[in-house]
Amino acid sequence: MSVELVIYPELCHGCGNCVVACPVNASKSTEIAGGKGPQEDVGQILMVEDGAIKIKELKDCNNCATCIKACPVNAIAMEDVE
Amino acid sequence: MVTNIKATEDKNVSIKREAEEKRELCFKDEKCIGCGICEQICPLEAIELGPVGAIVRGEVDASKISIDENKCVLCGMCSVVCPVEALDLIIDGKQIKEIEEYPKLIRSITPEYDYCVYCGACDTVCPQDAIKVMRQLPERAKLVTGEIEVDKDKCISCGMCEDMCPAEAIYLVKNIPTSSNFEIASDIVVDKDKCVYCGICKRICPEDAIKVVCKVCPYGEYEIEEAEVKGDLILNEDLCVNCGWCQETCPKDVFVVEKPFEGELIIDQEACQGCKTCIEVCPCNVLSFPKPSEPGEIADKLYKDEKYCIYCGACQNVCPVSAIEVKRSGMNITPIKSKAWQKAVESLKETLHKPKTKAESGGK
Repeated sequence: MSVELVIYPELCHGCGNCVVACPVNASKSTEIAGGKGPQEDVGQILMVEDGAIKIKELKDCNNCATCIKACPVNAIAMEDVE
Repeated sequence: MVTNIKATEDKNVSIKREAEEKRELCFKDEKCIGCGICEQICPLEAIELGPVGAIVRGEVDASKISIDENKCVLCGMCSVVCPVEALDLIIDGKQIKEIEEYPKLIRSITPEYDYCVYCGACDTVCPQDAIKVMRQLPERAKLVTGEIEVDKDKCISCGMCEDMCPAEAIYLVKNIPTSSNFEIASDIVVDKDKCVYCGICKRICPEDAIKVVCKVCPYGEYEIEEAEVKGDLILNEDLCVNCGWCQETCPKDVFVVEKPFEGELIIDQEACQGCKTCIEVCPCNVLSFPKPSEPGEIADKLYKDEKYCIYCGACQNVCPVSAIEVKRSGMNITPIKSKAWQKAVESLKETLHKPKTKAESGGK
């Protein structure tokens, strides 16, 4: 079984909790680790753009589900891609 | 050509081949701790570890490993090294651990039931709920002896004795006063099954209405039966992961635990981002977030108590930022005759495989 991060931008409120909760994001930028949304592309997995969440770069995602835990509106899920 | 037949029931998988001998590989998901040792040892890359972090955290409903029945040759290596017997190869109806020719991972828990005093510490600390302690305490009334008497004529129903009694053994039968009956209580009752004759009621009573004598104090315990605690220590070895919490915690040395692997658990405090996935995945409660002992102290991000670690490697596999490294230096296994098997088992001591990122596995 192969699962992948899936987002539902229509549910997203753009709070950015997932962006700063994601440990991969945080490891890539001290700004994100400090709780601030990234302004530029640092290879982060998730980023809020125009008020909704976007997947930027999935290759470093290890499916830990921390972003899902942080999301207050179920806008992120992990789904079967096979 | 004989093909393997795969059967899936809920999250459990069985792969069967019926040729000259019948072989069946059974996977039980509820036993699996998601360590990935099977994936690491499989010579045919037939086993793939699932998204264990997301599964354990309840965000993905799937089996922790998947087995490709077209690649599996039912060799049994995975079931020999599985540290929790989630995988089992059955050859002609016999489990691989019962077949002499195959090596066996040595791991055990041996309780000395006679030493147990039913304190319940093991029950509390066991991370797998594998131990239950049930105890029957003796009746409190049989461990004390004395006399108590309330002079109801003197009693003014103030209720101080009731408020002070540590054993809830004395109480007023309350009455709502009316013009025809202005008593605030109709009676005062002592429950002799609960009273321990401590005398607090006597000392608090403002009217000297209570007399209490404890016979144990002047005469000793000669006329009281011995306090015997009966109980049961129930160990479910199927759930045990040999972490050693019970062995470390038990004040009576009831447990002796043998662990399957030796090694080292290394945490990169700089790299850790505190996502908690490892803490939730660890089957042995080795990891936790430490609290600073005083304000302003900078504690480690992730704390480990390595004496409970079984070096299964589950934490390393789920860490999204490679902050954990598990190095296995020793395997507790019976002698292996086959060279190929020796090599395969030895390979588990090498640096644990890093889970493939999507880029490495070609975007899959």
